[in-house]
Amino acid sequence: MALLELHDFHYSYGNIHVVKGIDLTVEEGEIVTLIGANGAGKTTTLQTISGLTDSKGVRGRIVFNGKEITGLKGNKIAKMGLVQVLEGRHVFSKLTVEENLLIGAFTRKDSRKIREDLKSVYHRFPRLEERRLQSGGTLSGGEQQMLAIGQALIANPKMILLDEPSLGLAPLIVAEIFEAIREINREGTTILFVEQNSKIALNTASRGYVMQNGEIILQDTSEHLMNDENVRKAYLGGTD
Amino acid sequence: MFWQLLISGLVIGSVYGLIALGYSLIYKASGLLTFAQGDLLTLGAFLGVTFFTVLKLPFVVSLVLAVGFGFAVGMLIEKFIIRRLLNKKVLIIYVVLSTIALSYIIQNGTMLAFGTKTKYFPAIFSISRIKLGSIYVQMESVVCILVSLACMLILHLFMSKTKLGTAMRAASMDRVAAEARGINVSLTTGLTWGLAAGFAALGGMLIGPVYGVYTTLGATIGKKASASAVSGGYGNMYGAIVGGLLLGIIETLVAGFLSSEYKDMISYIILLLFLFLRPTGIFNERALQD
Repeated sequence: MALLELHDFHYSYGNIHVVKGIDLTVEEGEIVTLIGANGAGKTTTLQTISGLTDSKGVRGRIVFNGKEITGLKGNKIAKMGLVQVLEGRHVFSKLTVEENLLIGAFTRKDSRKIREDLKSVYHRFPRLEERRLQSGGTLSGGEQQMLAIGQALIANPKMILLDEPSLGLAPLIVAEIFEAIREINREGTTILFVEQNSKIALNTASRGYVMQNGEIILQDTSEHLMNDENVRKAYLGGTD
Repeated sequence: MFWQLLISGLVIGSVYGLIALGYSLIYKASGLLTFAQGDLLTLGAFLGVTFFTVLKLPFVVSLVLAVGFGFAVGMLIEKFIIRRLLNKKVLIIYVVLSTIALSYIIQNGTMLAFGTKTKYFPAIFSISRIKLGSIYVQMESVVCILVSLACMLILHLFMSKTKLGTAMRAASMDRVAAEARGINVSLTTGLTWGLAAGFAALGGMLIGPVYGVYTTLGATIGKKASASAVSGGYGNMYGAIVGGLLLGIIETLVAGFLSSEYKDMISYIILLLFLFLRPTGIFNERALQD
């Protein structure tokens, strides 16, 4: 049984049907990407898995770790070990870096282990340690993204969902962030991420889904997708 | 004369501060203005005077019960009125209007339940007044100032040092992100309304023994406290406290040295001055549209 399964999943905002019946699975330990143009329904899909959209709009079934989570509230889903990294600008701007990280451990009670995990986040992102007493709002875009990832890590999750980790970041920082994502996956955390930058997405993930107008039009290993002519034309710009 | 006025100013100012804190907490947590804060002060004062004089409970017990009751009422208001309206996706202004309705319902309710006559606390403390330098100060005034300041300090420690307080601040900055971190935002919002109402009831318990308890006690205090919240920086906890204390002092000094006829006007003049000259308040809170 897969760790995350979506069965005939739909989402509508009122009368606007944005996700039109998709099936998606992520096995334990995998790193999978969902790519597609702006407005394809990727972010809505991710937000709904995490319980962060209005549950009135959902149809179909979402199963995580053997339990149906469709329509559950976000805080309950986070407690189950399915944690979302929101876009970097969602860090708490007036909390310090360290408060931001510790709030990531909100659902945990083991304070000694939390301290250890805090250290390991600082080890992974030394720049966060340097800025630990600065407020989240004063960080650069790249540092905010690192902080957002740190907040998810410190929850000690089974699975992490990431929403556009490259958004608005300089290429060098993007490379650094994706290296960290690969490393987190190698250490055993299952990952599903949404990305507009299809090239880096397919270079990072082992499998990918291509979404267009609310439907999955292709799914395959990253290697096959990269060599698929339609994907190259539509999403990889046809160059190099 | 000056010192006597200063103490009186601090008494009413600390109560403005307690109420203004509630405005700021609620504004940050729900993005709303409530008109019921002052009437919750009245309710707290009536409950307190009843516990103390009718049930003959000790003052401290009466105070804790009144504050606890206020807290519960605040949470219920959020859960059964505010959140329901917000879930219906009505415009914010209608939710604010609902708090005006609530304000009058509480005001009338206290009149029906407790009558129209002003109720006075009998002497609470064995020492009725203490000597501070050259002046005598009523014990009730000293308690009002000290207890308000102590509770403000406790609130500050709670919000900045505890996990739940930090979560409440986080939820007021970004609800979605807080939910994603596992925080039950509905609960933290409810707690915030509870805290605001509890602070209002506390204000009633502290000012009741000084002013007496009547149905419109909170209405005026509540309105003036909104001016202190604005002058401090609307939404800023510390601004609410400083704004409240300053306004209380200024108003009392004006009444004492100029004329008491200006007393009720001065707060609103200050409110307008701040809106035009420094809408961000003393603590520089965000006040302009992006």
